[in-house]
Formats: sequence, C-alpha cells, structure tokens
Amino acid sequence: MTSPSQPEPMAAELGEAELIRPVAHLRLKAFALLFFTLFLVVGSALYLMVARGAFEPTQRLVLIADDSEGVVVGMDMTFSGFPIGRVRRIELGGDGTARILIDVPQKDAHWLRVSSVFTLVRGIVGGTGIRAYTGMLEDAALPDGAERPVLRGDATAEIPQLMSSARDLLGNLNALTAPDSALGTSLGNVATLTERLQGPGGALGMLMGSEADAKKIVQTLDRTNALLARIDHMAARADEQVFGAQGLMPEARATVIELRKLLADARTSLTKVDAVLVQAQAVGSNVAEGTADLGALRAEVEASLRKVDGLVNEINRRWPFAGEKEIVLP
Amino acid sequence: MLLSQAVHTLPERLARLIWGWALAWWRIVYLGAVVLVLGLSPSSYGRLGRGLMARRIYLETTPILLGFTVLAALLSLVITRIVVVTALSYGLSRYALEMVIRVLVLELIPLTAAMFVAMRCAIPSGSQLASLRVSGRLAALDRAGADSVRMELLPRVVAAAFASVTLAALSCVVALVMSYLSVYGFNTAGLVSFTRMFGHVFSPEVTLVFALKTLFFSLAIAVIPMTAGLYDLGKSERRSELGGLARMFAVLLLIEMISLVGNYY
Repeated sequence: MTSPSQPEPMAAELGEAELIRPVAHLRLKAFALLFFTLFLVVGSALYLMVARGAFEPTQRLVLIADDSEGVVVGMDMTFSGFPIGRVRRIELGGDGTARILIDVPQKDAHWLRVSSVFTLVRGIVGGTGIRAYTGMLEDAALPDGAERPVLRGDATAEIPQLMSSARDLLGNLNALTAPDSALGTSLGNVATLTERLQGPGGALGMLMGSEADAKKIVQTLDRTNALLARIDHMAARADEQVFGAQGLMPEARATVIELRKLLADARTSLTKVDAVLVQAQAVGSNVAEGTADLGALRAEVEASLRKVDGLVNEINRRWPFAGEKEIVLP
Repeated sequence: MLLSQAVHTLPERLARLIWGWALAWWRIVYLGAVVLVLGLSPSSYGRLGRGLMARRIYLETTPILLGFTVLAALLSLVITRIVVVTALSYGLSRYALEMVIRVLVLELIPLTAAMFVAMRCAIPSGSQLASLRVSGRLAALDRAGADSVRMELLPRVVAAAFASVTLAALSCVVALVMSYLSVYGFNTAGLVSFTRMFGHVFSPEVTLVFALKTLFFSLAIAVIPMTAGLYDLGKSERRSELGGLARMFAVLLLIEMISLVGNYY
C-alpha cells in the first residue's frame, strides 16, 4: 500500500484539484446494493425453478407412440385446454416405439383416470399438441408410472393424398370443361335455347320449333279453356238438374221407391205365377203325353183308314154292283 | 520498435497495421485475464481493497439505477404493446407474450443494459484511467510500491461489471412485470399461465446461455474501455480510444451472435 513519504507531494497535488467527499455510510450502502443484486439474481432463479415446477411433487406418465415427431421436451400436455403435464424426456423403447415421459403435478393428477384417452395431434399450422380426455371421472385414478398408448393424428399426412385427389379432380374438370367436350356443346345448345326463349315465341316457340305451331297450341289452349268454361257451366246446370230441388235425383229417388214397391208386388205376382206355372207344367206334361198318344192314335187311325180305303177300293173293284163310291162314316 | 519508424511502402504499412491490431487485441485479452485473476484472488479483498471496491461500486451503480429502470420499463411497455397488438391482428395472440419474453428479456435488455453501463460508467472510467496515467498518478503509485492495477483498475472494472449485472437483472425483472401488466393488467388472473410460459421459455439451456451472456457482456464492457485508457500509445491516443470503443462493440456483437447460435441453432 502507500508509503509514508507519499502523502506530501500527493497533498500538494490534491490541494489544487477539486475533491470528491467520502460517501457517508459507504459500507452500509455498498452492502445494501450487493444484497439487492444478490436478491434479484437469487429471486429470479427461484422464480424460474417454481415456473419449471421444481418444487411441485409430480407423478410420471409414459405415453407410447409409434412416431414422436413434433414432440419437444418441455411441451405441455393439456386437459380441456389447461396444461396439466410437461414432457420431460423422449426416448426410444425396446420395441422401437417412442416413449414420451410426462411429469404430471400431483395436484392435477386427479383429472387423469385409468380410462383416460391421450391424443397426439399435429395440425397444418401450429405445433404438435398432446391432449388428455377423461370420459368417466369416477373411474380409478391413473397410477404413477402408468404406460398408455397415444392416438396419433397428423393432418399433414393427409396432404399428399389430398393433393393427388385434387389433381385427379382437376384433370376430370379440365376434360369436362374443354371447349369440344360434351358439356361445352351442351352449354352451346343451351345458349341457343335461351336465345330462342327470349325470342317472340318464348318457351312454347322453343318447344314446338316454329311459331305457327306455337300459335296453334295457344289457340288450342284458348279453345280448351272455353270448352272447360262451358263444361263448367254445363256441370253447374247438370248439377242443378240432377241434384237440385227440382232435379232428377229426388224424382229418381221417388221412382226407386215406387220401383221397389212394384218389385215387391211383382215378386208376389211371380210367386203366384210360379204356382200357376207349376200347374201348367203338369198340364203340359199331360198334354205332352196326350200328344204323344195322339200321334200314335193318329197313325193308327191313318193306318186303319188306309186299310179301309184299300178294302173299299178292292170291294169297289170287285163288286159288280157298283154303286155310290161313298163311304159314310159313323 | 517498428512503431516509431516512419513507414512509406505498402507492405510496411500493412505489417504495421496488422501488428497494431494484434497488439490491441492481445492487450484486451491479457488485461481481462489479469482482472479475472486479481478478482478471484482473496488478497484483493483486504480492508483497503474492499473499501475501494465498495466505493466505486456504489458510485457507479446507484446514480444510473433509477434512470435505466425507468427507461427499461418504458421500452418494455412500448415493445410489448406493439408485439401484442400486431400478434392480435394476425390471430396469434397466444404466441405474443412468449415472443416478448424471448426478444425483450433474453436478448434486448441484457444488451441494452451492457451498452448503457458502458456509456455511463466504463468509458468515463477508462478516460479517468487515461487521465490518471497521463497525470502520472499511476506511475507515482507504482514508484511508491503500491499496485496501481489493484488500486485503480480493479475497482473500476469490478464496479462496471457489477453495475452491468445489476442493471441487467433489474431491468429484466422490470420488463417481465411490465409485459405482464400490459397484457393482463393489475390482477393476478394470468399469473399462473404467465409463470408457466416463463418456465417454458427459460429451459436449462436457455438459462445457462442467458447467464453466461450477461457475464461476458459485463466483462467485455468493463475490461475493454479500461484497456484503451491504461496503455500509452503515444500519437495515436485519440484513435486508440475510438478503436477501443469499436472493439467493445465488436465483442458485444460477437457474444450476442454466439448466444443466438447457442439458443436457436
């Protein structure tokens, strides 16, 4: 340090220069400052440790995935949007599957049950997310060190498939909308049609092809309308005639009633006639017998007469006493 | 020596340039090593040594503490607001706060604190050392058998480094608080998710890189301006001071680049 001979020339120098006075309670203030800095640094370190969950008791959950791409150490596992676990390690298992080791704080572990489902979702935008879903909250709690398979969903894996389908679709669309394609010619025809539609004939002219035909159809329609009007009128009158108070129906009804009466009378008459007929039938059968007998009788009579005639003729032939050739019948 | 000769030809000028450059960097490295050795040796913390260091630490840190805290609070408020509003307009608001912490607390604040301390403390200390050297006090101390390095250089270096670390720590805390307040306001609703996100950002590797970066920043701004003041370079005194400044900025930039590579590569 400084030797005793030093102060004299130094004092002479210092006497001319401006002097900075010593700081009051320097030790105290310096200590305070040092303590403040230490407090800042240590406090930040403690806050960091709390933030990283160094003082939280946790339990281990192991998720087995066949592909852990996108999973980063330190990322959160969420349950209903709230982070309840943090990925601590990712390692390769003995069977080639990825093992994701997650630390779940014990105060949040009651959200995970033995029936909980875990998914690893990777969207097109944004990072990968590990999500836990628990359907039955009354189930047994997930034990420490449990191993569960994780369901993977990767939207980006669908993209090549989507691209090739889109490409096929675009090719088909191109073929479809080419100028010489069926659709193109159809659309051309449709254009012609719509032009005709806007023409004087309108839709009818387009359907019929010519205006004269269209006019005929219109006329037919008018006439049909008039006919229908007349038929309508007729129907009204007929209705009046048939169903009106003075119409046919009441008379027909009365007629029917009379007819019914007549029929009843006729029925009784017929039953009488039936009886008469039965008798007539008997008579007729007798007559038929008689007729048959009559025929035989006639035949006999004729035969007899012939005989008689023959006899007479013989007699006449042989009798010399020719007299009157008359027979007087009894 | 080569420096004292008049040189005209190109190879000679080139050689002189390279030699000067190499010498300047060597001095920085050497002085840094000396300061580290002295700082870590217990004999530097004798009664007088402690007194000198305490005085310098207090005198250099305290006046700038409040001013820089206010500046850091304002800066972090403005930047947080800009980032959050921009992210909101893109629908990416959940990434906003994490980005603010990464950009502000990890990168901007330590660099700003180091440069602020350099401007306010280290460079004036370097000038003071230069004037002490020029006035002959350092030589007088050496003649008296005292260690001028331990008496004049070490306290200034330690004070500048301490000021840088303190300012960085304080302004980081202030930046965190301001970013929380500007997003969530004066309530504790978002404290849990904010803490979680802070823990997510500050992984062990990031924390290590951050701590080392702050340390090396403080060392750089403490040592390099002193080197410029301590060595007598004759005619090129003016240039050497500016050169010292340029070297300090270059070293700060290098440390920043290495920390970014360490964090994100």
